[in-house]
Amino acid sequence: MSFEEMPHTADIKIRAHAPTLETLFSEACEALMQVMYGKERRAQVTAELDVDAGDTEALLADFLSEVLFRSEVDGLVFSHPKIRITGTHLHAVLDGEPFDRDRHAGGSEVKGISYSGLSVVQDTNGYMLEILFDV
Amino acid sequence: MIDGVNRIGVNEWEVPVGYVPGMRVPGRFFLSEHLAQILEPGALQQLANVATLPGIIKNSLAMPDIHWGYGFPIGGVAAFALDTGVISPGGVGFDINCGVRLITTPLVQADVAGRRDLVEGLFHAVPTGVGAKSSHKVSPKALDEMMVKGARWAVENGFGLPRDLVRCEEKGCMKEADIRAVSAKAKQRGIPQGGTLGSGNHFLEIQVVKEIYDAAAAEAFGLRAGQVCCMIHCGSRGLGHQTCTDHLKVLEGATKKYHITLPDRQLACAPITSPEGKEYFGAMAASANYAWANRQMITHAVRQILSKMFRIDYGEMPLVYDVAHNVAKMEEHTVDGKRSTVCVHRKGATRAFGPGAPDLPPELASLGQPVIIPGSMGTSSFVLRGTQIAMDRTFGSTCHGAGRIMSRSQAKKQLSGKEIADHLLREGIMVKAPSDNALVDEAPEVYKSSDEVVNVVHDVGISRLVARLSPIGVIKG
Repeated sequence: MSFEEMPHTADIKIRAHAPTLETLFSEACEALMQVMYGKERRAQVTAELDVDAGDTEALLADFLSEVLFRSEVDGLVFSHPKIRITGTHLHAVLDGEPFDRDRHAGGSEVKGISYSGLSVVQDTNGYMLEILFDV
Repeated sequence: MIDGVNRIGVNEWEVPVGYVPGMRVPGRFFLSEHLAQILEPGALQQLANVATLPGIIKNSLAMPDIHWGYGFPIGGVAAFALDTGVISPGGVGFDINCGVRLITTPLVQADVAGRRDLVEGLFHAVPTGVGAKSSHKVSPKALDEMMVKGARWAVENGFGLPRDLVRCEEKGCMKEADIRAVSAKAKQRGIPQGGTLGSGNHFLEIQVVKEIYDAAAAEAFGLRAGQVCCMIHCGSRGLGHQTCTDHLKVLEGATKKYHITLPDRQLACAPITSPEGKEYFGAMAASANYAWANRQMITHAVRQILSKMFRIDYGEMPLVYDVAHNVAKMEEHTVDGKRSTVCVHRKGATRAFGPGAPDLPPELASLGQPVIIPGSMGTSSFVLRGTQIAMDRTFGSTCHGAGRIMSRSQAKKQLSGKEIADHLLREGIMVKAPSDNALVDEAPEVYKSSDEVVNVVHDVGISRLVARLSPIGVIKG
């Protein structure tokens, strides 16, 4: 995995690197799930979701917001997102398992995905993002 | 201290126009010399960013618990003219009407000292932490009523007493709630979460009144030295979070539509009078009402436990007050000598209306509104009262808490949950949390001293100290 938590006083700031935009989004999703539920997440079911947004940053924020929503209402803890981005459309297939209080209760509830400090940039090694989760 | 900021009083600082491009008014914040040493540049930048928003009146303000957030800084307050101003979810936050309330009991410290079963009982009665679901799954119709009536819905459905309502800011209900502006997704999240605490900095604490600073106000508020109280800190749960997320997207489009230039996308906004602005405000008010109903449901659970364990009457545990600290409101204030209705955003700040405020019950009218300021886990919380100075200087606002000074990642490197719990137990504080992580995230060391923060607001006069409470039992979300 290639994401790290950066210093931020109030919330959780994540920086991730990846060779492609799709894997970069996948890293951001893994970071979100790890913050909320910890590292131990198994594949028992699959879920699919689709998101449209006006630009890359909004697509990332909306994708993660949708993951948050689905995780909460379906009671699922997601992992291994496989992502396809076509223009401003995103399609994701995620592994998941039902929330288990004994194994998943150690994290922090994320209230929302913030636009403050949100950036997705292309560099010589691929892509990098920074994003803030409100906890 | 950061360059480019002017000190204009013992506890008062100004961020001049020009600190960031496009500022319409100066920024102003309240900090002691010592607290100013640890002010983060990011928080100051956010305070200055707010000053660029259209229609802002007088100043972009921040209270002494100012810290780096998203959109507005935490501790940020700003008022906007109804005709030229904007409304922004970045000035409210994801947790709409995150707030705090305090209930008193007839018990004294000796009655509850060492009663681990009380902490366990409360922990099991109030669902806490990530993934917690309520035992009160409401129907879609009941959810709509929660969002329209707020705390009154809860009281009408057996979760409290009618007299609780007059001891809530706005009587626990914003009349502008528009449930049509709340998405199906937000409602879906709200249905199973009524009466749940959430996680992060949310908590339920058993506290003891340790010091009284203002005897007349304390008596009117129902507080006396040695008394056991219970403090509840939580918000609008997934329903509020989703409402913010949904409307942020709409307001991003509105920002472009109304040609508003922003320094931070999280400050997405729309004119207060626009359809988009009105819809956000209506949805935000509905979410705020859900939060008041939620705190009322938790209050009921707490009273039931205390009543059963200590054989005290449910009616012997009155509410001191309930305050919101993430909200936007239409309020009447004096601007340039004239009374005007303005839209006040409080993002991690507490309303602190002075004597004579319209929604205060008669017994509090001459004293000002009770202000509840939670400390961090293991440190003192405070009750203050609102003042005329707050009305004149901060649109009737004061601080909301201690304010973080250490990131969660740093806390994880330096602290362990077991050590924190053991240390607190040696201090006479019993702690229960869903995980060690929850304790580390919210350890006393990661916050500013609550004493220092409330001393600043007391000295500036934007609220006055009434009482200090110390925790003896903590349930972390």
